[in-house]
Amino acid sequence: MTQNTLTHPAHLDVQAALPLLRLLNPKQYTRIVLASLAVGLIASYTAVALGWLPLWGATAMVLLILAPAGALKWRDDYRRYGATIMGLSILLTAQGLHTVEHLVQWAQYNLLYWTMRQSNGLLSPANAEWVHFTWNWLVLITVVLLMLGGMRGGWMWVLLTVAIFHTIEHSYTFIRYQMILRELTAMDVLNVTAQGLPGIVGRDGWLARSEWTRGTWICTIPGLTTAVRLDVHFWWNILEMTPLILAGHFYLRGQAAAGKFE
Amino acid sequence: MHPASGCSDAFVAHRLDFTTGTRLREISTYISNGAGVAANDLDNDGDLDLVFASVDREAEIFWNDGSLAFTSQTLDDRFGRGVTIVDVDADGWNDIVFTHRGLDGVSFWRNHGGDESIRPSPLAPRPSFTLQPLLGVDSYAYAMAWGDVDGDGDLDLVTGSYGVELLQHGIDSPAADPRAGVVLHLQQEGSWQAHVLDREAETLSIAIADLTGDGQPEIWAANDFALNDKVWQRDGAAWNIVHLFDQTSHSTMTTEWGDLDNSGGLTIFTTDMNPYDISPRTLAAWAPMMNQIEEHRAAGDPQVMANVLQVRDGAGRWQNQATRRGIDASGWSWGARYGDLDQDGLLDLYVVNGMIAADMFGHLPNGELVEENQAYRNRGDGAFDRAPQWQLGATASGRGMVMADLDSDGDLDIVVNNLRGFAQLFENQLCHGASLQVDLAWPGSANRAGVGAQLTLSTDKGVFRRDVRASGGYLSGDAARVHFGLPADATLRTLEIIWPDGAASAIMTPPNNARLIVTRSDE
Repeated sequence: MTQNTLTHPAHLDVQAALPLLRLLNPKQYTRIVLASLAVGLIASYTAVALGWLPLWGATAMVLLILAPAGALKWRDDYRRYGATIMGLSILLTAQGLHTVEHLVQWAQYNLLYWTMRQSNGLLSPANAEWVHFTWNWLVLITVVLLMLGGMRGGWMWVLLTVAIFHTIEHSYTFIRYQMILRELTAMDVLNVTAQGLPGIVGRDGWLARSEWTRGTWICTIPGLTTAVRLDVHFWWNILEMTPLILAGHFYLRGQAAAGKFE
Repeated sequence: MHPASGCSDAFVAHRLDFTTGTRLREISTYISNGAGVAANDLDNDGDLDLVFASVDREAEIFWNDGSLAFTSQTLDDRFGRGVTIVDVDADGWNDIVFTHRGLDGVSFWRNHGGDESIRPSPLAPRPSFTLQPLLGVDSYAYAMAWGDVDGDGDLDLVTGSYGVELLQHGIDSPAADPRAGVVLHLQQEGSWQAHVLDREAETLSIAIADLTGDGQPEIWAANDFALNDKVWQRDGAAWNIVHLFDQTSHSTMTTEWGDLDNSGGLTIFTTDMNPYDISPRTLAAWAPMMNQIEEHRAAGDPQVMANVLQVRDGAGRWQNQATRRGIDASGWSWGARYGDLDQDGLLDLYVVNGMIAADMFGHLPNGELVEENQAYRNRGDGAFDRAPQWQLGATASGRGMVMADLDSDGDLDIVVNNLRGFAQLFENQLCHGASLQVDLAWPGSANRAGVGAQLTLSTDKGVFRRDVRASGGYLSGDAARVHFGLPADATLRTLEIIWPDGAASAIMTPPNNARLIVTRSDE
């Protein structure tokens, strides 16, 4: 005779299993965040509908309206967990929003079949080069500060590596953007944008054209020298977001085990 | 012209006394597209002569007197685009056929021949030409191609119109005009039956080649702008569109094909607009124009604004490998041709480029985008290296271009019809390797030069394949003479010829460093 023991599956506590969700939970500020978001969306929709603001201006307005709620939440993070975890909270939030920007661009280009110039996302129409150059330097600096604050580990080093290369890519495109603008100015051409040109990787980029790499095995790697810039940066962002999430997860789990994060 | 002689390990540029586009005060679209050049033997003296088309004046014949000396003669055919030298009426004398800008169609200049008994004396009278109709051919024609597409033994003609230019000339709806489109003109005993393949056409180049490997030629109309390139395959009397390619050039200016790795597989190269130099200065020169061009986006659109190299993968599908082989960007590219320039048994690539259009490049001096023509040496591993050492980087605004042995020294020289500049002849002084040149003769046939024939040369260094063409590249006409470049120490074993009707001939141990005339006798 055998005895069967019926076991009930353990209740899955998502918040316990995923400390990042606990960190990002606005907690007592949830209502303020939601209210700010609602106000921001209504105001931005109205501004765009009435032609008062372009899409990027409306997007900036939403972010500005959300900023006070965010500041409250991050102040709370700082008081509870200290500067490093607050920094992680800020980076996750901001990089998450940046991912939304790239998702929108990707959808505009690959699903709606907008042109490359039209597929500018929500905030980038302001000036794609300035937006992404500034953004990636801020990300890189924040990653370094987090590491100095004690957040280390394999995924953090992966993140740092990706962030460095991504920042180099944007610095390259930004410097070339400035150089091309200077050339255009010298030709008395003042009404032409030079944004969105290829960088180091991707179609028509440095790797595709350099005499060192042309016709080599590097050019056989799918996408490395053939993907359009928009797809290149979508994948840069995925490459950056993935180690950030993993690094944050393992760091917070360690902090929780040490009793420094609840 | 005073040709240089000897071996300089490079090409030597010679100026030909012909210009097109210089009579106009300003060049704008689509005069900017320039005109072509053709090479073939017009007087049956064995030398290849040249004919230049002109967008703003009469055409010009350059009679080859040998040793790169030419005598020019004006031919009163004005405002030409494309030109081919082909024996249309199969009388043994090559004729000249032009396409034109604007609303003119095809013009046929019949060669009345000369006195062959006193050739090749330079004192012999040149053949004369008269303008005659091609009965039944009435289409607007920008691009054209010749070949026996229906396998009935005579030469057929495919023409393509250029819609935007028709608009400029008052045709409000080119696609609704019965003279517009891609039209197949099937020759039937001296007259021509028109079959419209497509009413929509922005056709800059037409290829007739066996793209599907079924032993029959397909027709490829390469279109400018967002209009997709189209390929038609024959099914009995019907011609059906086939979709062969996942990716094509956007504004396809040239279609060129050949066996790049001597594997027996065809690769197809198409040109487009894409700067070869990504320096800020160059990109700034392109930027205002690129901002004007509205990128076309649609689900499933295969077009990419770059040169494309179609290569078959293991499963037989065509793949674009232009980037991995280093030839995806050669500037604002027009004519492109394969040819074994250094005679190592591998087809190299030459692309002519540049743009002059005040309405597009008004920010540049004289409205001209100045670029260096691009020469690419086939490395033998599937990829190409730029070959500046060949000194083919001329900066004139090249359009039509042909490769042919003009000084009868066995290697390929290059002739370019430049817009708003003198035409150029680049004399090959690389002095590498060896060669075999082959002329086919098919007396009594309506396709006397065997246009479309496939030639396979087997040697101890590999197997080389070429085909006989009458037209190719951008607006240009090819000599029917086939050139095989070979390593100097190659031993030639057999030359096999598959004639356009499928008949086969074989020549055992053909001579090296020679010109061979293979005459088919059906008796």
